[in-house]
Amino acid sequence: MLFKDQLDFVTQHIKKNKLRVFMTVLAATMGCAFLIVLASVGFGLQDSIRNEILSDEKVTKIQVHGNDQFTEEQINEIKNIEHVETILETITVNASAHSFFEDRDTDSELYVANMHNFEQVNGKLEKGKYPTKPNEIIVGYHFAQSLVNDAERKIIEEKNKKAEAEGTFYNGSEEGYKDSLIGKEIELALMPRIDGAKETKKTKYTIVGVMKKPSYDWMINNSIYMDTEQKPMLATTLAATDVKEDDMFYSEFNIFADSMENVKPILDKLKDKGYSVFSVTEQLDQMNVFFLVLKIGLIFVGTIAVLIASIGIFNTMTMAVTERTREIGVLKAIGASPKLIQRLFLMESTFIGIIGTLIAVAISYVISFVANATLPLILEAATGEDAFSKNDIIFSLIPWQLVLIASAISIGVAMISGYRPARKATKIDVIQALRQEL
Amino acid sequence: MIQVENLQHTFLIGKKGKEKHVPVLKGVNFEVKKGEIVAIVGKSGSGKSTLLQILAGFMKSEQGSIKVNGMETAHLTEAESAAFRLQQFGFIFQNFQLMPGLTAFENIELPLKLQGIRKAMRTEKVKKLMDKVGLTDVADHYPNELSGGQQQRVSIARALITNPPILLADEPTGSLDSETEQDILLLIQSLNRELGLTFVIITHDEEVATIAHRRFRMYDGELVKEEA
Repeated sequence: MLFKDQLDFVTQHIKKNKLRVFMTVLAATMGCAFLIVLASVGFGLQDSIRNEILSDEKVTKIQVHGNDQFTEEQINEIKNIEHVETILETITVNASAHSFFEDRDTDSELYVANMHNFEQVNGKLEKGKYPTKPNEIIVGYHFAQSLVNDAERKIIEEKNKKAEAEGTFYNGSEEGYKDSLIGKEIELALMPRIDGAKETKKTKYTIVGVMKKPSYDWMINNSIYMDTEQKPMLATTLAATDVKEDDMFYSEFNIFADSMENVKPILDKLKDKGYSVFSVTEQLDQMNVFFLVLKIGLIFVGTIAVLIASIGIFNTMTMAVTERTREIGVLKAIGASPKLIQRLFLMESTFIGIIGTLIAVAISYVISFVANATLPLILEAATGEDAFSKNDIIFSLIPWQLVLIASAISIGVAMISGYRPARKATKIDVIQALRQEL
Repeated sequence: MIQVENLQHTFLIGKKGKEKHVPVLKGVNFEVKKGEIVAIVGKSGSGKSTLLQILAGFMKSEQGSIKVNGMETAHLTEAESAAFRLQQFGFIFQNFQLMPGLTAFENIELPLKLQGIRKAMRTEKVKKLMDKVGLTDVADHYPNELSGGQQQRVSIARALITNPPILLADEPTGSLDSETEQDILLLIQSLNRELGLTFVIITHDEEVATIAHRRFRMYDGELVKEEA
């Protein structure tokens, strides 16, 4: 029998039992859509968290554990590894930086780094440029905001008390220096972090750049950054206090790959060479394992719905075979092979599975879209927090892999549940069937 | 064309554990030559239907041999038997056995579909044959819109459409009135004469048996030749 004729045969029978087939397709659709939507939550959450991790840290960064100090030789060795873009040595000055500007002042961290490497890693500034001359510095995004005078300190304190009474906190964003700090001169004194230490004398610096806003809303960056050329002068300044020479600076090394894909090979090579290093991509790997297990679990639960729908398909097909016993008998009598009869019925259950799956995929995308659009608003209304709508949380994500897995499961299950009725059809006794009354 | 030798068959009757063996065919022998109309006459329960079913390959005999066109068919598998039927046999049933959901045209077309023949060729063949058996006017009618005689004509046309050398008929006029019966018998005779088709007719109706070249009487599982 030609394939087209087989299709005609199947569609003719489906048309004859429209309502029954429709109800069965509906059950298959619901099962498959449930499976897809349920699993899409796993995919969505994974994507949200992955984006969260990737937006937090520079993904190309490979961190070096502990306070290992690299020698020139080691730095060159690492730099020679393929795809390593740069090694950034960030030196933390072991003292609080006390800055003075007009009647304002603030305490912040002071970092020293090679500004060329620093620029390569951090890219564009919010405002201004990277330091090129001695005594030029750049400051964190919140530096101006943290520069407050006594009057403002009082206001902040009051606002804070008020916020505390309400169970929240106030970050001081309404106070501070409002104008641009670019080109402004500040005075900087260092306060060593040891008991009884005195502040060093003030040195003048010019702010030439302001760094970009940190990726998290809650992160405050009011640090000061200067070039490594300033390190000897800072050492001299600190030497006037009681700080021991060894305790003045702490170095932290970070290795940067040229792209995210190359982080893993670099990481492997560094580990082989005995360096203790890690990267957020490893965190991603661990998270991916967790979500893989979660997604398998969700697909498993969803499959149960598909299995329930398959009972419907089984019933429909068994009914179809029973109803058509005489017709099957005639077909067999005039020479239809058992294989052909089995195939005709399997095609019918597969057809139900395919149509159910197609509709389910379409419905799932609609549900997913609606959920992503409305759930943040509903949660915002219910909890009163705007974090849901601001953070771009994806509640449901349907990648093509999920569509493929769900389709394979529901069409497979439809075929399996049609198998027994189809076998039954081939076993029909011609003589018995022909004796059936019309 | 057909040689049947020592065909034996027993039915198991009764409850499990207490079955009784009832012999239905007790060593049947007969031969059908090409272009013959052979009638097997017998009362109900004589075993004539069982003989036809074994001949057609619907069931297997316990013992004996059946040769159709020189080919031993008693030991074919179900699939082989189906393929063999499609090529060698055409069937005419007592209650026509038409597909209720298909038109007269589509019913006749069905065996050609099973043979995997393309639509254009099928249509041509079916139209020609419908014309021959006088069904052109009712091509688009469903079986329940046809008279008994018309239904049996459709059934005969369906049996003929694949040009099988042998037609097996089980009580072909059993559901028809005497006038229509005559029509169908004339049709069978003319098909036999014009196309040289071989007919094996199973019937309890002596009237039907009159058109046969040779007659066998089935009696209690044994077949006896009668003079025509």
